[in-house]
Amino acid sequence: MVAQAGGEVAILIESDIVSARRAVRESASAIGFGLTDVTRIVTAASELARNVFKYGGSGVMRWKFLRDGIELAFVDEGPGIADIEMALTQGFTTGGGLGMGLPGAKRLMDEMVIESSPGLGTTVIVRKWKKV
Amino acid sequence: MRDAPPNGSARLTGRDDTLEMLQLLVVNMADYAITMLDTEGHVLTWTPAAERLKGYRTDEIIGKHYSIFFTDEDVAARKPVTELEASARDGRFEDEGWRVRKDGTRFWANEVNTALRAPDGTLRGFGRVTRDLTDRMRTEEQIRKQSQEILEMATVPVVQVWDGILLVPLIGMLDSERTQQLMERLLVRLTETGSRVALLDITGVPAIDSLTAQHLVETIKAVRFVGSEVVLTGVRPSIAQTLVHLGIDLAGVVTRSSLTAGLRVALDRLSLTVVASARGAQADHQ
Amino acid sequence: MINESISVIKVRDVLMVAMPGDPDDATVAALQEKTLLAMEQHEVRGLILDLSKVDTLDSYFARTVTETAAMVTLMGGDTIIAGMRPAVAITATQLGLDLGVTRTALSVDVALEMACFQPGQVGP
Repeated sequence: MVAQAGGEVAILIESDIVSARRAVRESASAIGFGLTDVTRIVTAASELARNVFKYGGSGVMRWKFLRDGIELAFVDEGPGIADIEMALTQGFTTGGGLGMGLPGAKRLMDEMVIESSPGLGTTVIVRKWKKV
Repeated sequence: MRDAPPNGSARLTGRDDTLEMLQLLVVNMADYAITMLDTEGHVLTWTPAAERLKGYRTDEIIGKHYSIFFTDEDVAARKPVTELEASARDGRFEDEGWRVRKDGTRFWANEVNTALRAPDGTLRGFGRVTRDLTDRMRTEEQIRKQSQEILEMATVPVVQVWDGILLVPLIGMLDSERTQQLMERLLVRLTETGSRVALLDITGVPAIDSLTAQHLVETIKAVRFVGSEVVLTGVRPSIAQTLVHLGIDLAGVVTRSSLTAGLRVALDRLSLTVVASARGAQADHQ
Repeated sequence: MINESISVIKVRDVLMVAMPGDPDDATVAALQEKTLLAMEQHEVRGLILDLSKVDTLDSYFARTVTETAAMVTLMGGDTIIAGMRPAVAITATQLGLDLGVTRTALSVDVALEMACFQPGQVGP
C-alpha cells in the first residue's frame, strides 16, 4: 500500500538518528528514488539529524512528499548558528565543529534552506527531486 | 440496454428488473468505486468498493462534500470546483492524481466524472468512477527505470575484456548526469564481476574542462572505495596539457596514452603475463 | 536501544570485523573500542573491516573508521576496508569523505589474500 505522505521523527536521544534514517529510507524508496539517490538522501538526513542532536540538544525531523521529490525539515531550539555562510563553506574536517554536516548534506541534496540565529534555534530544510 | 448475451441467459425485461440489476451492478462493482454527487458536489451514494478504497463508511460520508477526497494543494487550487464545472459543461471530466483516504494516506487515482442529465436536459448530479492506479503507477515506474537502464547501457558501455578487467570506452563529453550513470554502472559491474581494474579510456573524449576533470576524479575515488582501481588510458598530449594547466591532481591514478599500454598495466596488476604459445610459431609453416 | 553487536574474529594473525547494515552511533563507537582491545590482547598484524552489509556511511561512521585505521597503524598494523557497496561509495565521494591511505578490497576474500602479503612482497 502507499506509504504516508508525510511524517515526523523526534530527535531526543542518540538512537533517534537511526530512526530518522530508517524513516527517510522507507519514504524515499516509496516515492521511487533509485538506490543511489536513496543513499544520498538518507546520508544527508543522518548528518542533519546528528547536528540536531549534538548541537541543537533536541528537536524534530519532518519529512513530506513533494510532487516529484521529497522534503526534509530539521528543527531544533538550540543555540543557533552565528554565521551560516561560514558553516556552509567550512571544509570537511575531522575536528568537529558546528555545521560540519551542513556542506556535506547540501552537496547530496538539490536544495537547502537554513533559518537560524543565535538563541532562536535552527531550521534546515533540504529537498531532492527525482530525475525525469 | 443491450440484448441478451448469446448464451441465452435471462434477458433484462421491464423497468423494475433493469433498475434493480443496475443497482446490483454499482454495489457489487469491486474494481471501480462508483459514487454519485448532487449538483453541488455532496456525496449521494456510496458502495463497499468506495469504502474499501477511500476508507469512509456510508454513514459518515453521505452528505459530505467530495472535496474531502482531494489533497490540500488541490483544494487550494479549487480543483474540486473546476472539475464539476467542466463536467457540467462538457458532459464528462477525466483526471488522474493523488487522492486522500480517511486516514490521511494517499493513493493515485484515475477518476471520470460524468454529468447526469434528465431526458429534459436538467442537471441532476454527477456520477463518479474512481480507479486506484497506485499499482499501475508503480509498474510504469519500473518500466521507466528499465528503459532508462537500457539507455544507460548504450551511452555508458562497460565491457569485460578479461577476468578482473573492465573497459569503459568513453565517447563524448562527461557532463554531470553522464558521470552519475558512469559511476553507478561501472561500480555495480566492478562489484558484480569482482574486477579489480577498470580501464577508463578517454580517447573519444575531445576535451577536458575542469568540471569534466572533477567528474573523472570523483569516479576514480569511488572506484577505489569499492576496492578496485582505475587505469586511465587514451590520455592525448592535448589532454595531458590541459590537466597540467588546470592543476588537476589525478590522485595517484596510473595513466597511459594508449589503451594497449593501459591493458599491460592492468594485466600486471593482476599478476598476469601474456606468453606466446608454441603453436603460434608452428602455424607460420604452410 | 541496544547495540547491534559487532563480531570481532581473529583469522590467523588478522582481525576481521563485520559491521551491520545500519549501526547506531554506539555500535560504531564499539568498533573502535573492540578493535583496540583485540589488538592489545592478540598478536595481530592488521584489521579487515567488512562493510559489505552497510547501506549508509555518514561522516561520523567514516571518521570513526579513519581514526581506528590510524590507531591500528600506530600499533604497527594495517587496515583494509572490504566490500563497500556502490551506492555507499558514490555517496561517500560526493560527501567528500576520505579514507586516507587505508587500502580497500572488493570483498573479504580479496582482503584476506592481500593481508597475507608482507609489505613489499610481490605475488602469492
